[in-house]
Amino acid sequence: MDARIDRRTALAGLGALSGLSLFQSRANAAVRFRMTPRLDGSARTLILFQLSGGNDGIETVVPYEEDAYYRARATLTRKKDELLKLDDYRGLHPALKNLRTAWDAGRLAIVEGVGYPRPNRSHFESLDIWHTADPRGRAAGLGWIGKLCEAAWPAERNPNLVVHIGPNVPYSLHSQHHRPASFVDPEGYRWIGGERGAMAFRKVGEGPASMEERTPTLDFLRRVVAASQTSSDEIRRAVGAYETDVAYPDEVLAQTMHHVAALVSGGIGARVISVELGGFDTHADQRERHDELMAILDGALGPFLADLGRSEAGKAAVVLVFSEFGRRVAENGAIGTDHGVAGPMFVLGHDIKGGLHGKHPTFETLDDGDLVHTTDFRSVYAGVIEGCFAVPHQKVLGAEYPIVKVV
Amino acid sequence: MNTLLLLLLSPLTQEAAPGVPWNARTVEHLYNRAAFGATPEEIARALAGTPEALVDALLAGFAEDERTFPYEVVHRPKPEDFPDQHDYFDACAERRRRERLVIADYAAWWVEAMVASHDPLREKMVVFWHNHLVSSAADVKSYVAMIRQNELFRREALGSFSRLLHAIVSDPAMMVYLDNDQNMVGNPNENLAREIMELFALGIGNYTEQDIKEGARALTGWKTDDIATEPRLLPKLHDTGEKTILGRKGNFDAGDLVDILLDQPACPRFIAFKLLRYFEGVEPEAARLAEYADFLKASDYEIAPFLRKLFLDPRFYREEIVGHRIAGPVEFVVGSARRLGASFPPKLLWLAASHTGQRLFEPPNVKGWEEGEAWIRTSTLLGRGNVAGVLLGITKPSEVIQEVRSDGLSLMDDSRVSGYVPEVAMTALAGRLGAKGEGELVERLAEQLLAVPLSGASRTVLVEFLAAERKRLGLEEAGLLGAGEKTEDLLRRLAHLILSLPEAQLN
Repeated sequence: MDARIDRRTALAGLGALSGLSLFQSRANAAVRFRMTPRLDGSARTLILFQLSGGNDGIETVVPYEEDAYYRARATLTRKKDELLKLDDYRGLHPALKNLRTAWDAGRLAIVEGVGYPRPNRSHFESLDIWHTADPRGRAAGLGWIGKLCEAAWPAERNPNLVVHIGPNVPYSLHSQHHRPASFVDPEGYRWIGGERGAMAFRKVGEGPASMEERTPTLDFLRRVVAASQTSSDEIRRAVGAYETDVAYPDEVLAQTMHHVAALVSGGIGARVISVELGGFDTHADQRERHDELMAILDGALGPFLADLGRSEAGKAAVVLVFSEFGRRVAENGAIGTDHGVAGPMFVLGHDIKGGLHGKHPTFETLDDGDLVHTTDFRSVYAGVIEGCFAVPHQKVLGAEYPIVKVV
Repeated sequence: MNTLLLLLLSPLTQEAAPGVPWNARTVEHLYNRAAFGATPEEIARALAGTPEALVDALLAGFAEDERTFPYEVVHRPKPEDFPDQHDYFDACAERRRRERLVIADYAAWWVEAMVASHDPLREKMVVFWHNHLVSSAADVKSYVAMIRQNELFRREALGSFSRLLHAIVSDPAMMVYLDNDQNMVGNPNENLAREIMELFALGIGNYTEQDIKEGARALTGWKTDDIATEPRLLPKLHDTGEKTILGRKGNFDAGDLVDILLDQPACPRFIAFKLLRYFEGVEPEAARLAEYADFLKASDYEIAPFLRKLFLDPRFYREEIVGHRIAGPVEFVVGSARRLGASFPPKLLWLAASHTGQRLFEPPNVKGWEEGEAWIRTSTLLGRGNVAGVLLGITKPSEVIQEVRSDGLSLMDDSRVSGYVPEVAMTALAGRLGAKGEGELVERLAEQLLAVPLSGASRTVLVEFLAAERKRLGLEEAGLLGAGEKTEDLLRRLAHLILSLPEAQLN
């Protein structure tokens, strides 16, 4: 326990409650949080990394020995010698230099041909399917992380159990009892209005209203008020206290990953952290945009992986990179690609089973111009659920899937 | 005779709708949903008239907006006009800054119209269309195109969805946003075809992937210029072959496609659903949806009669609806500005709504902003309190809102924003409200600043805060309003807490 926390807990006069601020110890939510034993450093944190818009998997892991690939894409194809070769068939996009290094170190797993039966080519419907792990999408209820929380931590009420960094919280985190915390900038993630105003604002979230004036919406809002305070205190503490010698690029996603690293090793009890990189819907002039996105992705994941290596919690963390669908094999008339189906998933971390998983989809038989999936994404989820959290995957996914052992 | 009778009987037997009393609560509800909240004067005026009169006035607009938004149509720099390539790059960078500045100014102009509320229902519907027929300035990269699209929404806000849908397929901003300018015979691009079926007209499950492919062919051949001012159909690029769309065969073009979509039973249902959910805050049950969908279809997709029916429908005033809808960020900010009764720099209001999750002209994706509980996150809830603190002068704008992008230009550099000095006069407002004592002061201020009633739990917190702070300042309860700056500062902090309450998120 460091000296700073000692001083704080002494101030609070509550004995050795590590990591709790003076204010928090008064909040109901925080007291409940304290009752839960802190998970040890080896507990896994899952980082969900969403590439929104439908990443072109074919230009990410390029099948450079595939003639059909060159036939279908007159202008988008890569020259073989540009690629960062993984073997005598596949090469990574030239911008994915850090990922290529991670591959050599066994810290990158690629699951090929991931999708699901009866593919939906709508961004939103397909994302909902990925987010709920259910073909019915939102009609099926909670997000898959919400279901994971019910299965793995049913009584846990730490508002930072699940955290999203960024403006748009994905439906995967949708939950009844484990609503995610979210923030964009940790510095501004607090109620600013003077100390005594802040004390009063804390009370607003605490007081249960009398029965007759309770409504579901007001109850919901009160819970968010309470959660926001605890969440803000802990997240700002963890980010403020975080020190690293790893240099991150001065770019939004990289800075976000810097914050993720702080939360992973900061002991805030986050088991799932979600981030998003958008812009993958490359219907037109794909090359330049996709190159840029790959560079951003690599520039953020490279330092992040290095940073994770500096702590036990970091070494136990697992990053899951996915997109709602791949893109059509043939390019369209606008030097871009339309919505497709199967694509690769990446799993990264220091303690994962690196290398190739699944099976490369064939270019011989396409489904209406699209690659047919060879691995169900829920099999990858199952591998992560069991490998990270020791929960039977059926409890989360509602059915049994062959497990892809990425962790 | 009728009017006289109503006057004589009012307010005892006056009803907002059959079985629903016409009182301050129902008037405020109508103003919350069809406008940006009511001031006490507006409530009093409305109560002196009939519900039909207020609904018709909302549909017609209270007054003309005299303002215009002047903007120049300037084309993008062309490389051939710059002998030195560096000058060309500089011109392009300058152009990008200009894009952001003009969009910000126009957004501010729009927010100003909401606050002034000469024609609030129209403004509310422009927000609705902006979030239904979605384009984003971040992708379109032409303020001219975005402003013209917004002008289309303003014209047809309460007009006809049929005309809107016809206009949107060749709207240059939409053309760029959904790549339809890249959709050519032999090389179709499905983006617009998909979204028009899924998100604009029918909803998922009411068409097939094949319909999208065929629909895309009908939409081929459209182009526009470098800043997307004029749509042009190039016959050479249009697919003149036969298409089969939703069971019909023909050599269809974009207009035919729209007619086919409007003819689907799913279309009025889809639009009625979204309108009912927008104004009521909950999803309509099946029978009610069917009734409204039929009505929309029968009235040829005219929006005004649809809304008139809704606002005079007793079910619009039922308990589970009134005061239970979560206000969007724009509604929260504009409503707060109106209720504080002072003048605020419109650009600051736009930035405040942006900060809390709704940046007008930059929806997150083609589906638009997700509404309801999705507006409320730990971050946006704290953010709403913080922007209220900015409006009240408790916090500096730059402490709450960051606006720097990679080009180094900050929209906060505007002196009206960065040098913002609040004009709110809480002491004067409290004086007008005639409150005596701390409890009454809290109640009156909450009544003024909130769209829904204050809960007992929140009242207790506020009264305790006010009493403790008053004592700390060494003031007597009776002299609370007479301590000049100290009073003003204290009442602003009280108002800040009120606007941070759970109740403040509702309308």
